Amino acid sequence: MANFIFEQIINGVITGSMYALVAAGMTMIFGVLRAINFAHGEYYMLGTFAAWLVISKLEVPYVVAIVLGVAIAALIAAIIGRLVMQRLVGSPFQAGVLATIGISLILQNAVILAFGGGYKVFEGGWIEPIEFFGIGMAQQRIVLIVAAIAIFAGLEWMVRKTRMGKAIRAVSQNIECCQVNGIDVESVVRRTFLLGTALAALSGILTAPVNVSVYGGMGESITLKTFAVIVMGGMGNVRGTLLAGMLLGVVESLVSGLIGLQYRDSVGFIALLLMLMLRPHGLFSQKARF
Amino acid sequence: MCHTSMQRLACLAVWGAGALFTAAASAQEVYKIGLVSPLSGANARYGAFANKGANLAAKEINAAGGVMGKKIEFVTGDSQCVPAEGVSATKRMISFDKLPIIIGDICSSVTLAMQPLAEEAGVLLVNAASSNPTITYKAGVGGFKWTFRNYPTDEGRAAIVLEHAVKSRGLKNFAVLSVDSDYGRGAINFTKKYLPRYPEAKILSEDYYKESETDFRPVLSKIKNSGAQAIIMYGQADTTPIVARQMLETGLAGKVVLVGNGEFNTAKTIAAAPSVMNGSIEAAAWLPEWTSARSQKFVEDYKKAYAGEMPNNHAYTHWETTHLVAAAIKSANSLKAEDVRNALAKLKYDSAMGSVTFDDHNQAVLPMVLLEVADGKPVIKSAIAAKVDYPKQ
Repeated sequence: MANFIFEQIINGVITGSMYALVAAGMTMIFGVLRAINFAHGEYYMLGTFAAWLVISKLEVPYVVAIVLGVAIAALIAAIIGRLVMQRLVGSPFQAGVLATIGISLILQNAVILAFGGGYKVFEGGWIEPIEFFGIGMAQQRIVLIVAAIAIFAGLEWMVRKTRMGKAIRAVSQNIECCQVNGIDVESVVRRTFLLGTALAALSGILTAPVNVSVYGGMGESITLKTFAVIVMGGMGNVRGTLLAGMLLGVVESLVSGLIGLQYRDSVGFIALLLMLMLRPHGLFSQKARF
Repeated sequence: MCHTSMQRLACLAVWGAGALFTAAASAQEVYKIGLVSPLSGANARYGAFANKGANLAAKEINAAGGVMGKKIEFVTGDSQCVPAEGVSATKRMISFDKLPIIIGDICSSVTLAMQPLAEEAGVLLVNAASSNPTITYKAGVGGFKWTFRNYPTDEGRAAIVLEHAVKSRGLKNFAVLSVDSDYGRGAINFTKKYLPRYPEAKILSEDYYKESETDFRPVLSKIKNSGAQAIIMYGQADTTPIVARQMLETGLAGKVVLVGNGEFNTAKTIAAAPSVMNGSIEAAAWLPEWTSARSQKFVEDYKKAYAGEMPNNHAYTHWETTHLVAAAIKSANSLKAEDVRNALAKLKYDSAMGSVTFDDHNQAVLPMVLLEVADGKPVIKSAIAAKVDYPKQ
């Protein structure tokens, strides 16, 4: 039984790494824009689709596909950032909700229109199984965990030490003060958006080899789970997001392993409801920031 | 509107084109049939196959003179495999297009929702690919006079698969991992109905997955620890490769086999994890390897028509069902829905799988194939027509 629980915790950490990577971007975007990016899962989908496309059409190796996939998704995000997201600075929150839901619909259906609605099989990645503490798993999953830890360490450093990170924190705290002090708020918003969506795309490409299937609607369930994660982690809190992502992954694994797979998605929603009722500022913050 | 000389010229052009168009249409009169299937969403691939199969049949029928001198043409609707979407597509076909016959849907949940609409409107609903038994429990003498199904049911399938797994393969301990839908849960309920026939067999665990699920590791870990020898899976074809690959990861290849239905036998699925798929047992309505002359000719014609693509089960059943409807129209010698329905009930039709007749529940009595995967290829074990025991009302 102890082994079984340990195995489920490892399973959960793997899934949680993916949730955390996607959610990190969403929470940063929320920080600077005060808007939930309901299209966030779509950048996860775009990255995966772009990688699938270059692998199946140009037959590039998986490592190159990671770079190209993120680049293509980031290019699309850069255009959307300039056309839509930077205009949301200072606008009421309803504008952000409507704009991002609209973008989500457009991106999903554009992909379905271009490539058809069917599932594609993602070829590539390191899918050979290996033993890891007695648990069989694809090498890709270890890559995912290592990548998640490295990226979070990088993000933490970026937010604390670099000029860009300081600007992001400043904009998260007070937009008017930033404008008075000569910080280009729109540029910070654009760059944060780009970084956040690139992380979502990267996470999609890293999980694609083990999730196998690629299709237009794949981002939808990701957005919902991510929303639960960023609420648990505290909106705009990068470190909290990592812990919250892992927590959701582990609890989901335990629930599906011990109770039943059909109850898995209820975990995120119940957590979301409880958080909003009892601790709307997140598990790890002392008080509400927004 | 048409006052200035320029406007008059433009109007004349529009009228002219309109007149030409109507002339062309009346010279080549069409008979429209509805075709509801998932064209987007998780099951879009099934819908695409269904449409291609049905259109191929229409082309063949039209080339041979059509039905009662009219060319068959399909009006398509996208159900997305969601009952509400299927209902709105069906309503559109009934009220706007006024279609006498609708073929649909693939997903059982959608077909169940379409039945009352067809009944109320007096439109003939011919199902070609839904396998939930309830559909025909409720049809014919069971209530809905306008629903017919030309497809084997999950009940027959569950009985055949279970018998083969236990009797021929000696499997005893089963875990359930099926899709969370009327199809997936229905098939498992029927497996349980027949389970008491084999006192040595038992189900150790039961899980159902959402259509968009991609992470099966928690459940596979549990199954690994439970000591199950086989997973009874009535699932989506697109999910099978994901499960297979994660079974490979968790070290279940060669230890636990898949039993049930979900395109276990296609090249795409087997390629995802051959060592996992070898030994799996599946019952299918049809597969491209079926050796009857009519079946082989269909595979050849289909590949010729669609750039070498291999047809799947849904392509075949929609192709065959379109021919079946045309045969019913011919035997009725009428295009009216009611006449076609009465003819269909009495029809004896020679399909690629064998002879098809309809019982008093409007359910086709037709054989299905039982196969196993061996060395990365499907091997046909037998073809059995299951007779359905309807529950006493």
